[in-house]
Amino acid sequence: MASFSLKILSCDRLFYQGECDALIYPAEDGGTEILANHTQMTAQVAVGELRYKVPGGADWQIAVVSGGIVKVDHNEVTVIVYSAEKPEEIDAERARRAKEAAEAELREKQSAIDQRISEDSFNRAVQRIKSAGR
Amino acid sequence: MPSAKEIKSSMRGIRDTMKITKAMYMISTIKMRKAKHQLEATEPYFYGLQESMSSILYNFPSIRSRYFGEAEGGEDEVEKSGPVKKGYIVLSSDRGLAGAYNQNVFKVVENLVKDMPEEEYELMVVGELGLHTLAGRGYNVNKEFHYTATEPSLERARIVSENLIKDFYEGKYDELHVIYTRMINSMETTVETQQLLPLKRTDFIDMDNAKIPRHLRSSETGNLGDIEGDAKEYLIEPSPHVVLDEIVRNYVTGYIYGTLVQATACEENSRMTAMKSATDNAKDMLNVLTVQYNRVRQAAITQQITEISSGARALRKNKEQS
Repeated sequence: MASFSLKILSCDRLFYQGECDALIYPAEDGGTEILANHTQMTAQVAVGELRYKVPGGADWQIAVVSGGIVKVDHNEVTVIVYSAEKPEEIDAERARRAKEAAEAELREKQSAIDQRISEDSFNRAVQRIKSAGR
Repeated sequence: MPSAKEIKSSMRGIRDTMKITKAMYMISTIKMRKAKHQLEATEPYFYGLQESMSSILYNFPSIRSRYFGEAEGGEDEVEKSGPVKKGYIVLSSDRGLAGAYNQNVFKVVENLVKDMPEEEYELMVVGELGLHTLAGRGYNVNKEFHYTATEPSLERARIVSENLIKDFYEGKYDELHVIYTRMINSMETTVETQQLLPLKRTDFIDMDNAKIPRHLRSSETGNLGDIEGDAKEYLIEPSPHVVLDEIVRNYVTGYIYGTLVQATACEENSRMTAMKSATDNAKDMLNVLTVQYNRVRQAAITQQITEISSGARALRKNKEQS
């Protein structure tokens, strides 16, 4: 299987750098897969689970990401997101607390921008709990 | 000359203060190292975003965005008239005892805004100390903008930037600048003013060949070929505007996070230097006082010996005479 080079960058670290056979990123309208020799592209990445397969590995590697972009340029794929975590790194307890806090915020009356921030953190927390739970 | 007891008690005081400054010095060293490490970790993210931004601007030269100070032609767009309103984000610290760190920031801020009428600028201050000082000096400070400067986190940077982007998009500010302290090297820091929004196209598109993505270079000349129109074979999902907005949001957040971390590193650095010189001063003072104390003690001993020996001689004389 042809592979391409993948770089996953988050705000606070270089999450992954190396070869990759296939990558599925979460888009607003569902998961989208990228294989080698994909056409040039820049696309939006939503909050969700990003999966990638390293050559020789049987399993999909999972990264929980929150909002950003993916850029494909001649078999060089760069994913740039706010944050990327492995499921086992997720502190489920913290995520649960964050979810509760976000829920409380959402119940309150607030401005449109605060509403969006709360919704975003709610979605992130839900995604974290979901990914940490398995 | 003070008595031996007085000198001793002032020495004890200095020694106690020195313990505190020494501890603060060590804490600052650790905090600074942490901030520097954080800063290094954000760099690849930042360059990655910059690169994607240039790639979009190259492939879609016709895109217009408010974030670049251009009209989008949307319906909710308001015609701008009157003076330009500038928003300044000022990064100061929560606590003092950091040498001239905060004073240097205030100096730059005051030079910038002192001649501006109040409705043309607004200060958004990060850090308690800066907030109170600048508000107290009568500048136009946005009271709703209230964030701590200690231990910058991505979450806080995101909240700050979402709010700023919204304000900018709605036309509350025409320009956003950030004033922060940057490290030149481990000894020197400098206060910088950077324009955050609108972004400048020239920051991302450099007509220098080295920065042009290779697929855009025409094969013979090596310079920009026919990229007048938007690229046809470049996939962008869901739409160039959505992606550009996403990049701008990430970029501004990354930038703010970077400046927050940078400022923290500088704050701890200058606190470290201040505490080091305080400790050194205390050592010098202790040295001087130790010499003085020894002298006083020696003088007292000499005096006592003189008294005893002259007393003894007087007694011996008395004996010989009798």
